[in-house]
Amino acid sequence: MSTVETTRRRPRAGELAPYAILAIMIVALALVPVVTQYTVRTANVYDIFQNFASYGLVALALGVTIIAGEFDLSVSSMYLLGGMVAVLTGAGSPLVGIAAALGTAILVGLVQGGLIARFRLNSMPVTLGGYLVVLGITYILGHNKSVMYDNFTVGLRLDKPVLQVFSIRSLASLGIFVVAALVLRYLRVGRDIRAIGGDRRAARVAGVSVDRLLVSVFIVSALGAALAGALLSYSLATASPTNIGFDVLTFSATAALIGGVSLSGGKGSAVGIAAGVLSLSVLQEILAILRSPDYVSSLITGGLLVVVTIVWAPDLSQWFRTTRVAASAEERT
Amino acid sequence: MARVGIERRPLRLADIALTVWIGILSVVTVYGALTTTGFLTVSNMKAILTAASFVGIIAVGLTVIVLSGNLFSLALGQTAAISAMVFLYSLRWGLAVGILLTLLLGLAIGTVQGFAVGAWGANPIIVTIGAAGLIEGMAVWLSHGESIVPPSDETSWEHLANPLFGLPVPVYVFIVVTIILAVVMRRTRFGRQIYLLGENRVAARAAALPITLLTVGAFGIASLYTAGAGVLIGATSANASLLLTGSYTYDAIAAALVGGNAVTGGRGSIARTAAGAIFIATISDMLLLRGYSTGGQILVRGIIVVVVVVLTNLRERNR
Amino acid sequence: MNGERDPAAESGSRSPLIDASVAPVLLEVIDLSKSFGAVRAVRDLTLDVRVGEVHAICGHNGAGKSTLVKALVGLVRPDEGVIRFDGNEISLRNPHDAQAHGIALVNQELSLVPELTVEDNIFLGGLDVPLLYRRRRLSEHARSVLDQLGLRHVQLGRSVESLSIGERQLVEIARLLVRDARLLILDEPTATLSKPEIERVFKATRDLVAQGRSVIFVSHRLDEVFELCDRVTVLRDGQRVATHEIHEIDRRTLIEHMLGEMEGARAMGEHGHAIPVSGEAVVRIDRLNVPGSVEDVSLTLESGIITGLAGQVGSGTSTILRALGGLVPNASGTVEVRGKKVLLNTPRRASAAGLLYIPNDRQREGLFLGQTVERNLTVVRLRRLSRLGVLLRRRIQRAARELATMAGVDLDRLGSPAASLSGGNQQKVLLGRALQLEGTALLALDEPTRGVDVGGRADIHNLVREAAREGTAVIFSSTELDEVLDLADVVVTIFHGRIVSIVPRAEASASAILADMTTSHASGTGMSS
Repeated sequence: MSTVETTRRRPRAGELAPYAILAIMIVALALVPVVTQYTVRTANVYDIFQNFASYGLVALALGVTIIAGEFDLSVSSMYLLGGMVAVLTGAGSPLVGIAAALGTAILVGLVQGGLIARFRLNSMPVTLGGYLVVLGITYILGHNKSVMYDNFTVGLRLDKPVLQVFSIRSLASLGIFVVAALVLRYLRVGRDIRAIGGDRRAARVAGVSVDRLLVSVFIVSALGAALAGALLSYSLATASPTNIGFDVLTFSATAALIGGVSLSGGKGSAVGIAAGVLSLSVLQEILAILRSPDYVSSLITGGLLVVVTIVWAPDLSQWFRTTRVAASAEERT
Repeated sequence: MARVGIERRPLRLADIALTVWIGILSVVTVYGALTTTGFLTVSNMKAILTAASFVGIIAVGLTVIVLSGNLFSLALGQTAAISAMVFLYSLRWGLAVGILLTLLLGLAIGTVQGFAVGAWGANPIIVTIGAAGLIEGMAVWLSHGESIVPPSDETSWEHLANPLFGLPVPVYVFIVVTIILAVVMRRTRFGRQIYLLGENRVAARAAALPITLLTVGAFGIASLYTAGAGVLIGATSANASLLLTGSYTYDAIAAALVGGNAVTGGRGSIARTAAGAIFIATISDMLLLRGYSTGGQILVRGIIVVVVVVLTNLRERNR
Repeated sequence: MNGERDPAAESGSRSPLIDASVAPVLLEVIDLSKSFGAVRAVRDLTLDVRVGEVHAICGHNGAGKSTLVKALVGLVRPDEGVIRFDGNEISLRNPHDAQAHGIALVNQELSLVPELTVEDNIFLGGLDVPLLYRRRRLSEHARSVLDQLGLRHVQLGRSVESLSIGERQLVEIARLLVRDARLLILDEPTATLSKPEIERVFKATRDLVAQGRSVIFVSHRLDEVFELCDRVTVLRDGQRVATHEIHEIDRRTLIEHMLGEMEGARAMGEHGHAIPVSGEAVVRIDRLNVPGSVEDVSLTLESGIITGLAGQVGSGTSTILRALGGLVPNASGTVEVRGKKVLLNTPRRASAAGLLYIPNDRQREGLFLGQTVERNLTVVRLRRLSRLGVLLRRRIQRAARELATMAGVDLDRLGSPAASLSGGNQQKVLLGRALQLEGTALLALDEPTRGVDVGGRADIHNLVREAAREGTAVIFSSTELDEVLDLADVVVTIFHGRIVSIVPRAEASASAILADMTTSHASGTGMSS
């Protein structure tokens, strides 16, 4: 009688990449005192997790849509809308604000996901339009200005250091990542999400209800972005319709990709995305310590994204082989 | 020869829907034109054309990417900004050199992206997102975060900023480059092959079309045109920094989509994009005159994009 | 060539816990009819499948096998007829209905998601799979099913990507077993399998029927039919021609049933083919090898000669042609065109060498459906029809008109999108684009008349002959015997990626060709897994 073996498979080289990158970043951080006079303190680690808290869920949101074989371009403005709604409705109670933000997210996700599923549309142009619609709503709600949140104490409580390096905000984000990891790994719906991203036709034939799942994925994506935005707005005590100086989309896409999410769909894990977000957060902390201007961060993140996309480009190895074969053939003649 | 077989003429829901949509748009536009104060004036028309021109130049260049099936580029705003900065900076070597250098830069930026997408199959959206970050970083780095202004002793650029026969120069440029590109897309082998590539990439490969070259060309043209727009933007503002990025990227994409180009490629035209750019500029202007805020304008644009995307992509299930 | 199998020896290899010949009937199909437009795919089809039996369905292309299968799994709704399962009349409106009744299909196009694990795929999309699906009980069940199917060495946590095609096929069967399928339909399951993998599928099948399930085995591999099945039903032209217990029939009779009238009329070919005068060797293929599909194929193709590759789906004929078209980068071997060695690892190189390949999937890979017929016809010759990059409109229109006329496409349709044409006309457009292209050394046509009716086929065949008469070498592949016999000057039969025989048309006989296409020969071990 064969015993049931564990279903954990041995990770392949490609899957270890996110953790390798994270390790490199941590090593780089550790080396900072060697290069400068600066001593790395717990405050820096706190900053890293705060950064994680601010943008991690957006990367997770985007990552989940990519795993499902789609791409949600509206996460960067959903983020802003979440913040705006939370601030505007949370004057009395922050929880009400968060609930409202989440409710808005569900609505947005339903519409986008519904259109994409029902009309079998490419998600990129639809979410591009969604991006604009959501951004427009954010502006309108705030009357084209930033909105202050009077309840400062909420932000202070959210950001108060817990165990020196965490805060309620970062713990909440980490907690959601844990839930997401469990769902993707152990629940049927998690597997189905990977199925529709891996081979949609096969999943449909096998009996997966693709349309319903697609809508859910976009709802989840909107929820993640909105929650992150809401918490950040409370922390900053402001909601703003713009995010100058920092491109949430680039950050999230880079974090997801270096976190092992494959653009062709079906591959990726919440843990990997977390590692990706942490890597970029460590990187940004290093740059902050070195007092690098913002643009260095843009350069590196943008550069990383381009490199990662090329390295994982489907026809890259084919192209190398073809060019090499042709070169050696020409040598011979 | 004998006609064999039953010809299928599928009911083109997409065509019907699109026609209805255009009808609605026309009615709304006319209504708006008639009821918005200050709209039907010469100066307002000029303003619309000017606004449409910048976006329009970028948008028609972008259209080649859309037609080729590579969706769109999210790096155009940054490309325009850095082009404006490079232009104003290189004016110290004369107007001609300034323009030439900027256009070459645009071409270079585009061809590199096009190569990664065409030869290696990299995802075009992500590549352009990354490129945008890189370009932005480079722009700030090279300018030390300051705006670039034209050299004080050089005034040749003013020719570009001053109106010519009553119309701003960008309008003329928009018209001319649109016609040129329209002719290229309709009358050249390159243009024809772009359409075929966008229609069906797999079949294009089987038919031995030069996919890498075509993709490089598409991205190169888009960037080149954007650089051209950057030149004009720089000249018109006499000041260039990353703030110029603005919403050019999304406006250009919206123009291409709203004009009715199929987002998956193979269907549409330069003319449609030009119409889309003018339409969006018209609507934005109307909304502005009626007191709509920035948010309202963005919102309306977004709704239009979503509706058009749904309507133009109502085709046979392709997944 | 193998001799007749000894029926007595065969029946001993199955250990019948259930005596299939007296078992109750599980499935009854009565007077099933289905037409697609003007084409009658299946007509008054009646057959039954007993509990615990392996029932083979044989028939040449177009006989109605796939329509029957699709009707049984709810992918197609019959126009007329009744399906009875376990004595009750059932209606199969969609695959979920079929799944609910326990009818399941494994066909060539597997529905596994490569990025997921074996266990994930086994439970993918099942109606009763719980939310938290990785439960011990379920894993144990999956494990035992895999063991039963001979996949003891495959761990549940292994990614499907890493499995061979044969193993994947068995995983798909595992999925159906876990869903407790009572009737499994295996549609050409062995086409791409290696010998040991085929053995495993057979063993699994035998175990299944021993448990009281039934299997419908659709195949053209007559060896396997004789080895595995209890009964065989032959379809021809959408109707059932015969059903026999396997020990009551021999191979020759089976082939005769499948061919019907053909054997007599086609024996010498209606066109009175004389072998055309041999031209010079235009293309020489030496030891073409594609890991997993084509082994050691060497051919010489001469100008003016039409070579037909006769082989069933999955036999490698398509891969050979694709390799000539530059679409198979991992192909190895040498190809010489007009004496010069050429590199064929990209379509551009193949085209530059004068090798023009026409794909067999016209909708996905051949045509540009949204583009006009004119654009489709002129796609491969734009360079010639333009000067300094500018298209010569008038010349293009003229060329398109000429090609359309030659191909038999209505000139009125030149400006219509290719999608609006009927299947037959679409195929003509696809072929039309390959005609009369200067510099073409070889035309490689992959299933040139797929989905085309009789009239259209005759037109297309004339087209091809015309092209050959003008001196081009032509090679085509087909799964249909009568097409090969009608069109080819030289018949090359392919089985399992290897050349079985090369015979000039005048010396070819229909039954020999069919036998070669459908039977493995003792030499060689076939594809290794």
